[in-house]
Amino acid sequence: MARREDFDACVIGTGAGGGVLIDQLTAAGFRVVALQRGPHLRNKDFVDDDELKIALRDELFSPDQLETWRLDENSPTESGRFNSVAHCVGGTMVHWSAWSWRFRPDEFRVLSTEGPVEGASLADWPIDYEELEPYYERAEWDFGISGDADANPFGAPRRRGYPNPPHPDRTASLRFKEGARKLGYHPFPTPTAINSRPYGGRPGCIYGGACGGYGCPIGAKGTTFAISLPKAQRTGRLDLRPNSLAFEIAVGRDGRARGVRYIDQTSGEECEVSARHVFACGNAVGTPHLLLMSRSGSFPDGLANSSGLVGRNLMLHLFTAASFAFDGPGYSFTGIETHAAIDDLHASDPSRGFIRGGVIAEQSYSVKQPMMHALVGGSEYPGADRAWGASFKDYLRMFQNTASVLVVGEDLPMESNRVDVDPDVKDDYGLPVARMTHRQHPNDLAMSRWYSKRLLEIGDAGGALEKWVTLSFTEEDQPMKGGSHLHGTCRMGDDPGTSVLNRWCRSHDVPNLWVVDGSVFPTSGGYNPTLTILANAYRVADYFVTEAKKGAL
Amino acid sequence: MDRREFVGKSAVLGTTFWLLWNVPRPNTLRAAAGSTEPLVLSEEEWRTVEAITARIIPTDHDPGAVEANCVNFIDKALAHEDADLLPTYREGLPAMNRLAVERFGAAFAELEPDRQDQVLVAMESGQVSGWSPASVTSDEFFETVRSHTFIGFLADPKYGGNRDFAGWKVVGYPGPRHDLGGYTPAQMIGEERITAIWGAEV
Repeated sequence: MARREDFDACVIGTGAGGGVLIDQLTAAGFRVVALQRGPHLRNKDFVDDDELKIALRDELFSPDQLETWRLDENSPTESGRFNSVAHCVGGTMVHWSAWSWRFRPDEFRVLSTEGPVEGASLADWPIDYEELEPYYERAEWDFGISGDADANPFGAPRRRGYPNPPHPDRTASLRFKEGARKLGYHPFPTPTAINSRPYGGRPGCIYGGACGGYGCPIGAKGTTFAISLPKAQRTGRLDLRPNSLAFEIAVGRDGRARGVRYIDQTSGEECEVSARHVFACGNAVGTPHLLLMSRSGSFPDGLANSSGLVGRNLMLHLFTAASFAFDGPGYSFTGIETHAAIDDLHASDPSRGFIRGGVIAEQSYSVKQPMMHALVGGSEYPGADRAWGASFKDYLRMFQNTASVLVVGEDLPMESNRVDVDPDVKDDYGLPVARMTHRQHPNDLAMSRWYSKRLLEIGDAGGALEKWVTLSFTEEDQPMKGGSHLHGTCRMGDDPGTSVLNRWCRSHDVPNLWVVDGSVFPTSGGYNPTLTILANAYRVADYFVTEAKKGAL
Repeated sequence: MDRREFVGKSAVLGTTFWLLWNVPRPNTLRAAAGSTEPLVLSEEEWRTVEAITARIIPTDHDPGAVEANCVNFIDKALAHEDADLLPTYREGLPAMNRLAVERFGAAFAELEPDRQDQVLVAMESGQVSGWSPASVTSDEFFETVRSHTFIGFLADPKYGGNRDFAGWKVVGYPGPRHDLGGYTPAQMIGEERITAIWGAEV
């Protein structure tokens, strides 16, 4: 028993950050205990792609999730489920949409590229693209990215291509490409961590349609659930503990993290596990929430928080989406979440009235299944008198003919956008819930307005009969309440006064505490974040393994 | 909750979207499989809810909410997962009927479709004089029934609505695919027909 409890590392969370760390540390011979909130689901649990159960009621992935949200300190607080996360082994990656991008080099140095911006806390990353490049490559090959590495003239430079060829198109992506080409853009297959052919011992995708937001029943989707964790388990050095909800990182008299206290969700008992190093990998809401709950005499404001920045600079991206109706089927209910993209409009250009930008992709979030089509895609449809009745029924009948496009816009960090511990609301376990305080920077709103117009132009050029904006955040009264791209709340940097973590994602204050998830991002980039979380996790793991073997930790 | 807020809440690019209904007890399935008799709605409430759903998704050359039995879905959901919303119906339905009587002299279910629509439009606007319940506004009540109707029309038939796949046939959704082998690349571009789970081509 004593031997069993002798852990080199305790990793909290098994998603993109935690899963890769667990794999890399166990492969290097370290003994790891992993705590994961929620169950260990299996592929068979993902066969059921019932839209009501999974997408609307969220009965599978996070049934007991509770958070609060407010626009600012003077606004009322709402309770609910705002962030799209999965509480199960493999974390949110289990139901991710698998868009897999490398950030462009300028996305690591936003402050020096743009200069200071009023109301925003821009920063450069302490690392640059060159440092991360080999780790991007490792992530792409471990997770089986499918794509065409030469097809995006605006992408980051790379030494090696993707391991798998692009996925086939669906009609909607062909129409998107046609429209984009007419406008002089350069469409290309969206790189995704989904097998386009058997790879890594996992099968190729069957294009069942229910992809983003769903677990993959055959393991074609690249996830830590399907790849990193099984590999780590085979080493015999991983003690994987599902249904283990961490609520405090305990600190010893020496100021080092001693271990982690957690609730065994099957018995309700409080437990504690000790380890020489603690890695918090619970996403950019869960991680700061855990650190801020970990108050003690030596750390009255929460753990690792001498900068006061734990929980601050929450970024969610600025999504803007439009739907198109064509004269025939687009087949958005088939395939994966996204088949094509353009990056022509990504580069920052202040003459547009805002800085930064993002990637645009054809995608099927609101059009792949009929309830999302009716309730989300249809909510702003201008062609019906109202969102019910005879004319709206005509809209319902356009389901097959509807396609959607989306921009993933880089939102600016603001210190006032934050995660903290709600003083009033408690969850089913009696724990105070995470509270988000978040509003958009004026730059984000200008960006959303500008991209809305570009999206509609692509629909026009692609021959859409009708086109409309389904998602935009152009007014302060329509705020984003949470998201699925969570970043920024424990930013890394070289200065302990202005960052929570050093360049190795190690706490400036607590030497054996590390954070490896989206929290570490100083800025959000105009791409989906997960490949960068993966790459950074490989980088941190490499450092940890090297230093630990030298005895330097 | 109005639709703009609905969209705001559903704006995450994953799946967790707005949930008024977040008590996960998969009992509707059992209830729906067991019976299409009313579980919680009275006969009059059933008739009134059905009349509303008939205006939300009217029957035309295609089946509508009545043929899909959306009211049965709503009844089973209110008995279980959406039990929190039963008070909304219990207070909203009589208030709507009072409004109907006040304006047109008869209960909602007895009115001509045009007049029913007028009542619903007024409720949807949230600006209706004489709406009595303090606990639920007219637009909240309307939005609750509206979204329930679409869910009843388009959710898997195992939940008690979408009878004979009526809703999926109207929209052209062939049904869930994970356990049926997905789609071929030729089907994704319309070069090969797609057979729905009820056996017909869509």
